[in-house]
Amino acid sequence: MLVLSLAVSGTGNCATVAGTPYVYARTELGSFVLPARCPHRGGPLHLAAFEPGRARLVCPWHERATSVSRSLKAGIPAVRRGEVVTVVFPHDADAAYQVEHLPLSAELSRA
Amino acid sequence: MSHAPAPYEPYALSPEELQAAVVRYASNPIYLDNEEWVNDDNPYRRQLRPQVAKYLNFSRVLPKDEILTYESLAAQRLLTSIYDADLVFLPKADLAEKWDDFRQFYSPGNRALGEIIRPGLEKFAFGFLDDEVEVSGKWTKDSLVEFLRALQDRDLSVPTASESAIEKSADPQRAARMWLIQFAPDFLSEASPMIRNVLGYYGEAQSDWFKIIIDEYGYGVHDTKHSRLFERTLESVGLRSDVHHYWQYYLTSSLLMNNYFHYLGKNHELFFRYLGALYYTETTLVDFCRRTADLLGRVFDDQADVTYFTEHVHIDTHHGRMALEKLIIPLVETYGDVVIPEIVRGYEEFQLISEIADQDFAAQIEWMDAGPQYKVLHAPVWAAIESGKVTAPIAHLVEPRGELSNTHCHDGDELCHIVSGTMKFVSGFGSHQILEAGQGTVIRKNRLHGAIIESDECIYQIHSVEDYRKCLS
Repeated sequence: MLVLSLAVSGTGNCATVAGTPYVYARTELGSFVLPARCPHRGGPLHLAAFEPGRARLVCPWHERATSVSRSLKAGIPAVRRGEVVTVVFPHDADAAYQVEHLPLSAELSRA
Repeated sequence: MSHAPAPYEPYALSPEELQAAVVRYASNPIYLDNEEWVNDDNPYRRQLRPQVAKYLNFSRVLPKDEILTYESLAAQRLLTSIYDADLVFLPKADLAEKWDDFRQFYSPGNRALGEIIRPGLEKFAFGFLDDEVEVSGKWTKDSLVEFLRALQDRDLSVPTASESAIEKSADPQRAARMWLIQFAPDFLSEASPMIRNVLGYYGEAQSDWFKIIIDEYGYGVHDTKHSRLFERTLESVGLRSDVHHYWQYYLTSSLLMNNYFHYLGKNHELFFRYLGALYYTETTLVDFCRRTADLLGRVFDDQADVTYFTEHVHIDTHHGRMALEKLIIPLVETYGDVVIPEIVRGYEEFQLISEIADQDFAAQIEWMDAGPQYKVLHAPVWAAIESGKVTAPIAHLVEPRGELSNTHCHDGDELCHIVSGTMKFVSGFGSHQILEAGQGTVIRKNRLHGAIIESDECIYQIHSVEDYRKCLS
């Protein structure tokens, strides 16, 4: 497994592992590691908003909904300490990765 | 007649009840202000400044950015006394002279009052961790082990801010003594919080944890007991080793560090959190103790007895491994993934607390070293006040010779201005400035300090300027 520490927000808040970018989302329902690309056509899930009244994120491209409940219960294990989050990715420990910045929507960056 | 049970009401004190109980607890004669800077071989005397307690609000969760305020210091001093009452402390000698204090400290009344206020104080003092540490996702044994083992890959050889502060200090020996004093609440009763976890029954892991404690207790050979090793370290650099001799010199965060383990050990619903914190501390202590032994050797020209630290370089290699392989993994295998988030949380919480303590100590050394500069800064800050450029709340004080203002800190910068007389202003162990009429000093926010009057009378003012730099512009 690959253990990485990322910034919760700002520079270094996104790790791209095996081609998939991940960010740490802090929402009103709880926090979780979010694949930043929509599984439909790769839309920017890091800019998604909640579907009104439901625990689902809506991709800004084609409005595909992604369950937040599943991410909270069965998502990638992570722990936040202040402004740093440590994530245990299911990839091999020697997997290539890149750390960069991705902006987050307001609903994914609640303190 | 109804046999329906009364509805269960969880224990909680109202803000007023908590405040009244804190004042009542702290007003015990053994907790009153001291006339000396140190306690003389009397482990029951702890200065809790009860005269201030009625102005403090413990009925909230202290946010992280207020963790070094006076309310926090007061809460940590109270909690230290409450936790310590579970342990046996005897003076090195002359118990007969301290018999009343001994009886009072361990009296049912003192202990009961402490227990009444403990939950409220713990929520106040440790509640910030609920906001600062957050565990998410689905953890398994494998992901936990990978997470914990990653600590071993980290470069732990880098000196902490505290170590750097000592190295760079204007007086490294004074700074190192202040540092050793900070460890005394923990190391002189070493492993006592941990022992809280080996009472009761929970199978094989209990016996494995006991093995760690056996090491800490030197296998029953007193000269190898870790607390005895630390006593020798203190004594080798000219410090006293009686319990809480230097009570007034403990920083807020030093008490926070020590109390954190008591908090986890006392509240058994946090048992698994303790395991994570244990793994973090045992694993990081190996490099920390290696660096510390080297640092003390340099600072004290190889005159410091560093056996305490060299012993931990060796034994904590085993303790980190034992914590993982003999405690954490077997308990997760027995009880399942439900316990993992707590283990992860304890690991991160103690890391956070360690960082707070490291920064706090480094800041205190900077404050102690800069005493002469803060005395010089009195002139421009006083000029700004005198000219009316700055207005700030003022306290006027008149105190007689020998009046000792027991150590405390303020939540904003203040200016101490001497109107008449002489004050010895103390900013840490072995660190002071003499202030005469017309002189004074800037007192930095959150920095521990105290004072004693050295003239027949001293009239002085405290101006609460909040940020002294605004007085300079």
